[in-house]
Amino acid sequence: MIRSSPNLPAPHAPQAERAGRRRLSRDERLAYLLLLPALGAVFVIVTIPFVLVLIQSVSADDGTLIGLRNYTRALGNPLLYDAIRATGVYSVIVLPIEILLGLSFALLVHRTVRWPGVRAAIYVLAILPLVVPPVAIGVVARLVYAPSYGVLNVILERVGLTHHEVNWLGDPTLAMLAVASVDIWQWTPFVYLVLFSGLQTVPRESVEAAQIDGADWWAQFRFIDLFYLRPLFLLIIFFRLADVLRVFDHVFILTGGGPGTTTQLLSLYIYRVEFKFFDSGQAAALAVLVLVSFSILYRLISRALPLERT
Amino acid sequence: MQPITRREFVKRTAVAGAMLTSIPAILEACSTGTPTSNKPSKLTIAAVQGAEDGPLKKVAPMYQSQTGITMEIVEFPYDQLFEKLVTTFQANGSSYDLCMMDDPWMPKFGTMGALQPLDSNFGFTRDSDIPSIVYDVGTWPPPRGPVPPSEQGKTQHLYGITIVGNVEMFMYRKDLASSPPGSWDDVLANAQKFNKANFYGYVIRGKATNPASSDSLPILWSFGGDIFDTSWKVVLDSTASIDAITFLTQTLKKYAEPGAENTDAGDRDRLIAIGQAFQSTTWPAEVTGVVEAAGVSQVAGKMAYIPIPKGPSGKGLGMMGNWLLGIPKGSSNGSAAADFIKWLIKTENMKTYVQNGGIPTRTSLLNDSTLGQANPYFPALAQSLAASPNWRPRTDQWNAVETIYGTAVNQAVAGLKTPKDALTAAASQIRAAMKQAGYPS
Repeated sequence: MIRSSPNLPAPHAPQAERAGRRRLSRDERLAYLLLLPALGAVFVIVTIPFVLVLIQSVSADDGTLIGLRNYTRALGNPLLYDAIRATGVYSVIVLPIEILLGLSFALLVHRTVRWPGVRAAIYVLAILPLVVPPVAIGVVARLVYAPSYGVLNVILERVGLTHHEVNWLGDPTLAMLAVASVDIWQWTPFVYLVLFSGLQTVPRESVEAAQIDGADWWAQFRFIDLFYLRPLFLLIIFFRLADVLRVFDHVFILTGGGPGTTTQLLSLYIYRVEFKFFDSGQAAALAVLVLVSFSILYRLISRALPLERT
Repeated sequence: MQPITRREFVKRTAVAGAMLTSIPAILEACSTGTPTSNKPSKLTIAAVQGAEDGPLKKVAPMYQSQTGITMEIVEFPYDQLFEKLVTTFQANGSSYDLCMMDDPWMPKFGTMGALQPLDSNFGFTRDSDIPSIVYDVGTWPPPRGPVPPSEQGKTQHLYGITIVGNVEMFMYRKDLASSPPGSWDDVLANAQKFNKANFYGYVIRGKATNPASSDSLPILWSFGGDIFDTSWKVVLDSTASIDAITFLTQTLKKYAEPGAENTDAGDRDRLIAIGQAFQSTTWPAEVTGVVEAAGVSQVAGKMAYIPIPKGPSGKGLGMMGNWLLGIPKGSSNGSAAADFIKWLIKTENMKTYVQNGGIPTRTSLLNDSTLGQANPYFPALAQSLAASPNWRPRTDQWNAVETIYGTAVNQAVAGLKTPKDALTAAASQIRAAMKQAGYPS
């Protein structure tokens, strides 16, 4: 007969305790050690600045905590809504055009260009706009659109399409189109490269089977290619939206946010709040608001376009 | 050789890496811990990139050869220089021993206490050959005009010495007009008279923020308008101010170039230099850099330079845009930096500086006939300095005010708002910004 004594601890308790305080194995410790430099870099470059921005967003210039007053001031400034509107318009112009153009080029090259040399040449050409500094692109774009000496006006007048100078950078609508066109020129190749690489992953057997079944190019695209490209669209939208929120150089050079504030995008607005108004509390609050808004937006987009193929 | 374990290898690599990465920090700590000698081996100047620092780059090697001190000039574009200096001063950094400063930055740097006083620390005194306004603009708190509330009662000190004596002037085609415009009515009459296809009667520098602000302020003042009165009350929406901006953005604009709302100084100079415009305001650096530059300009020798014409107020008020040299508080080479400034403003050295494209502040050099032949705007500049031109309001909030005001003028130039609506909205925004900064609203 076995008797259990109430003074004795339950036999499993020490084991559980030991499991909770289990010493890491040598391999695990090595893994953590190897991760440490990367985690340290992320901590220094991302976490510390973010915490500092959070603190700054609830502080006055002298460092005293003032609660959400900076957020109230940021949200109460009508110029913020002008900047949001401008950024929204800019995104609505550039994102669909870049995706459609990038997709069209990718499909065209994927289906028509077979020679590896030509594909490599197109690849290099597509890389070029991505590696040019945005400031240089802004300066060149100004030579294209500038009043009185802009190349575009000269060409349009020479070929007889216009008989007077088009005010590309002075008219609110045209100015927005001008700054958007620079973005489209620079970033459509990025969309092309991503989608073209996605098309390489489409199994040849599936395409051939569809062709035997009589599928036309649209059906092939809709039922086969698109299936493989869908996660990449999320990637593209996420990257490009993040980029749109950071657009600065070419807008600053081309229009300076003008005429008035019609092309003053969020990044330019926050820059001015920080470096012209020297209102670092409000600028920090704006940065946090943008980050939170973008996180919510990303969540909504990722729900609509799941990363996993289903 | 005994083999080591993977664990030992990782440990040794980590230790070696940590030692290597800490070497620069250790060296830096050693260097800052050593007492600095009176004569440093190097002076570092933060300078604005462009025509303003070109002559400085040319004469700095002369000082180097005389003293053995290496002169390193670190250049930044206009906006970036300001941001760089503000962030350096906030951190009390010692990166720069001297810094070039646009005069509207003085209130910000003065309020921050970012600079070393040149008078009490290094014995700078006023020179009778240099107009007093030039010293006033480098003095903080300002010796004339309204003083920011936070600066009232503070002792005045000289913090900056002008090395580019910029004052905004007026230029017109003397080969076409028989007499200089004495007033803005004359400017308008000439604009009407000479305006024709592909030749514009007037050039407006109307790009948003700083350009539109700089271009319109002399007109605003000459019409009796202003941004603030003497007690910091915002008067930008006064009748005189609205009349001034209406004159520029509606009346004069009829004879201005297309795309004026996107025209900056470079675009203006180009129009003048290729003979497609009759007149405009201008800065000395534009004259030497483009308008009178041989081989660049088609109108070299055809332009005349005069002080800003008079407006309905009876005054023609130019605007100061001096570039000063100051010594950051964080510099440990203050004495050597001060010696360089003293050397630079000596008459004979400033003459060399002018011969290399510099803009002088010494009256004797501005009136020097030899130098005047190569620099036709010198007499106008001398007159403008003698007449005590206006400076931009001496407030550390100037950048914010300029952004709001310059955007409003740009809106009016672009026709997005009437001058009255644009200035009324701008006045309201400026009141809010100034109230936030502790000024009476």
